[in-house]
Amino acid sequence: MVRLIFLGKFGDVAPADLAEVSLPGDVRTLHDLQHWLARQQPLLGEAMAAAPTRLILNQCVAHDLSSPVADGDEVAFLPPMSGG
Amino acid sequence: MAVRVTQGAFDPQREIAAFTAGRDDAGALVSFVGYCRAVTGGATVQELRIDHYPGFTEKEIARLAEQVSRRFECPDFLVVHRVGTIHPGEAIVLVAALSTHRANTFDMVRVLMDYLKTDAPLWKKETGPQGTRWIEPRPEDHARRMEAEKG
Repeated sequence: MVRLIFLGKFGDVAPADLAEVSLPGDVRTLHDLQHWLARQQPLLGEAMAAAPTRLILNQCVAHDLSSPVADGDEVAFLPPMSGG
Repeated sequence: MAVRVTQGAFDPQREIAAFTAGRDDAGALVSFVGYCRAVTGGATVQELRIDHYPGFTEKEIARLAEQVSRRFECPDFLVVHRVGTIHPGEAIVLVAALSTHRANTFDMVRVLMDYLKTDAPLWKKETGPQGTRWIEPRPEDHARRMEAEKG
């Protein structure tokens, strides 16, 4: 299982059952994961397409979306931030 | 240096007093406190909710603060950031810095706040009589962040 975390406005459109998912065999990378999610959840896909989205893999910024994703990983999806 | 993300309300004056206690070596203290406003852009704000990513948010704020601290040679700083539900009048963020002289202390606080606005992993949602809306950095926030990067 892969743990998924949706922050900010992505959390409003991501259903709770996406918190832990079993990935299909053809989802091997962060890029695959993002596209698979967009197909499964069009509203989430639209929200991610509409804003610059950062992916965090196991609490580290993912600079390369070809990074592999496997069971036990945690992936977070971050919309634009608004601190301060 | 200290960075803290807190669910509960904090008292900026008390934080600053603890931060500066016994520091007779410092010649300058600069602090900034950001508060939740009751009205923003003409709309009433009943409450503000700030989401964070536990662990990652603290680590990223510390990384940003250390980066700015090295640049301005200002190693003594304090950052306290609220998360969760915040009401008008309550403090959202405190950035304070201590140093020998004023110039780098002002720069430390100003630039770190510019960085936090656009780069801290925090997400604000305002609720008022008109409903709720997520806040995103404004073009001027990005412009300030770009200016801060250049110096």
